[in-house]
Amino acid sequence: MADLQIDHVTKAFGDTQVLKGISLDIADGEFVSLVGPSGCGKSTLLRIIAGLEGQTSGAIRINGQDVSGIRAADRNLSMVFQSYALYPHLTVAENISVPLKMRQLSASQRLPVIGPFIPGARNRNVEIAAAVKHAAQTLEIDNLLDRKPGQLSGGQRQRVALGRALVREPAAFLLDEPLSNLDAKLRVQTRAEIAELHRRLGATFVYVTHDQVEAMTMSSRIAVMMGGEILQCDAPDEVYNNPLDIRVAEFIGSPKINILPVEASDGALTFDNVVLPTLAPKNLSGPVRIGLRPEALRLAGEDAVLAGQVVHVENLGSEIFAQISLAGHDGRVTLRAAPEQRSSLYIGANVGLAFDGSAALLFGSDGKRIFNPHTVPAQSEVA
Amino acid sequence: MTRDLWKHLILILGALIVIAPFYMMVSYSFKSPGEIDRGEGGFFGRQEMMVDERCVKLRDPDRDDVAAAAPRFPNQTDSQIRDALVAEAVADCQMRPIAFNYTKAFTEAPLLRYLLNGVIVTASIFLIQIVVALPAAYALAKLKFWGREAVFSLVLFCLLIPVHAIALPLYIMLAKVGLTNTYAALVVPWTISVFGIFLMRQFFMTVPDDLIDAARMDGMGEFAIVWRVMLPTAIPALLAFAIFSVVAHWNDYFWPRIVVTGNRDLFTPPLGLREFKGDGDGSFFGPMMATATVIVTPLIVAFLVAQRRFIEGITLSGMK
Repeated sequence: MADLQIDHVTKAFGDTQVLKGISLDIADGEFVSLVGPSGCGKSTLLRIIAGLEGQTSGAIRINGQDVSGIRAADRNLSMVFQSYALYPHLTVAENISVPLKMRQLSASQRLPVIGPFIPGARNRNVEIAAAVKHAAQTLEIDNLLDRKPGQLSGGQRQRVALGRALVREPAAFLLDEPLSNLDAKLRVQTRAEIAELHRRLGATFVYVTHDQVEAMTMSSRIAVMMGGEILQCDAPDEVYNNPLDIRVAEFIGSPKINILPVEASDGALTFDNVVLPTLAPKNLSGPVRIGLRPEALRLAGEDAVLAGQVVHVENLGSEIFAQISLAGHDGRVTLRAAPEQRSSLYIGANVGLAFDGSAALLFGSDGKRIFNPHTVPAQSEVA
Repeated sequence: MTRDLWKHLILILGALIVIAPFYMMVSYSFKSPGEIDRGEGGFFGRQEMMVDERCVKLRDPDRDDVAAAAPRFPNQTDSQIRDALVAEAVADCQMRPIAFNYTKAFTEAPLLRYLLNGVIVTASIFLIQIVVALPAAYALAKLKFWGREAVFSLVLFCLLIPVHAIALPLYIMLAKVGLTNTYAALVVPWTISVFGIFLMRQFFMTVPDDLIDAARMDGMGEFAIVWRVMLPTAIPALLAFAIFSVVAHWNDYFWPRIVVTGNRDLFTPPLGLREFKGDGDGSFFGPMMATATVIVTPLIVAFLVAQRRFIEGITLSGMK
């Protein structure tokens, strides 16, 4: 168990700056997700933490100790790979036992055929077998121990990979998109299992994913990465409700947040010459943008501030998402509605929309969040 | 339908052309010299009793033999005794052509010794080739180092050098260090197989990087990765390489002929075939072809065994 400190880490491949000075403190026992679109540098950061790749500058500290220059095997970190990376020629039990064998047996004790007869090997092998059994029971794969990876389903392989990671009780677990090769249903189930495993082990987890749903559902904190930087690192609800950057707002949340270009002057915001119920700081003027989550919008009659036409409806049973093309705006906005409102949301219907002024998120022209007088700035850290 | 027919006809024709020499070899190894000369007797020959002329000639009785045999043939003249002895020798030297050919193959030359040499040489070559090629291929496929592409280009370049072009310098080098007429001379020049490095490198390129990273996380060093992870996953490719390597060096006539001069104890099987070269006393096609059959049999058996392994393969699906 350990805390991890990432201190101004940069990474450049030739002229391409992949990581631009990342700093992140991960407390002991925390589950931190690195989330972002592909190519944002999140996997590179994980590989740098693991020691599989060197950083260009900056430092990684595990329990306060700088591990730069220490090879991956000696950092006492476990990693689960997207492709599971199981040894295809070894059985499940042998796969799980590899990290223990490489650490606890001497080179001569690992030799084929004669290895088990070297003094001391017998006892060690018994201990290792017990540890493997225990790890397998934790993950409920003890009935698969004699199989080869080729005979396992994706979900089972994923568990074996987890077993191989947890068998040696590492300082921290690094997971690189471990669920992306699973089908949708299994992904939801395994998501819950990994979160549960984290609670049970109380270990530090660093989890890389491009799927914001995974990040939202499992993490203690989410670090949203884009273009080689961490834009925001906060608890999931904070990232969702109080994004500090328009890119964070757009990345987190499904369906995507609605962004409207508005005009600010004298503390008021206007969209297409309609004054919005959201207040702006007095000194703000010129074009800015507001973000409205689909659930912040509601159908309205007389008090509507936005008007438009329904162009597409998605009925998910428990809720309805309607895409509405606004008058005087080329984009569409998405509205989340209750199933009872199905009758008024047919394609071609003209609807009015309203929202609560405090629910709108205000972003400056540079994309940074502007706290409007409705909201008290939350105590969040920008990394 | 007719297109299929044509396809099969052409393929059958091709197969016949390839098989014909083998058919002749096996067939000759069954037949008597007379049948071979006259080209009769079908595949197996008639397997009539034949007389080994040389065996009879060796037992040609001289005066002492006749004298020694006199008590067995009382009341007979010397020439009668002599005829009787010759008749006995002819009876003893009679055998089926197949038995004749194969016993000759093993008795005329120390064929077992040659086969053993063949095994020692090909196995040593293959093992050392693996020891050299696997780490080299791993480095070329998976490690990043300055000049990697240049080194790989050199490997490709070496593929273009024909063996015969460098045979003389190699021979001179071996002679200078006094290694001619040793196993080392037969083995050492072949231990670095650029073809092996190239083939294994191409295979290692397909092994996912994650597997290697996982091995590093598990505490393996680079050499441990080569032997514990890459080698087992590369078994199908190694089998393919083994066929090329073993067949080439088992059948090699050129190189052993150059570096083994005189010492028959070092002869490899193909050199053994020379023993039946008909010099003065007529040709020995039957025993020669029997020897050839004995020499190729291990290869064919090995290939049939390996072929099954090829098809079963090691499922690499475990990686994805």
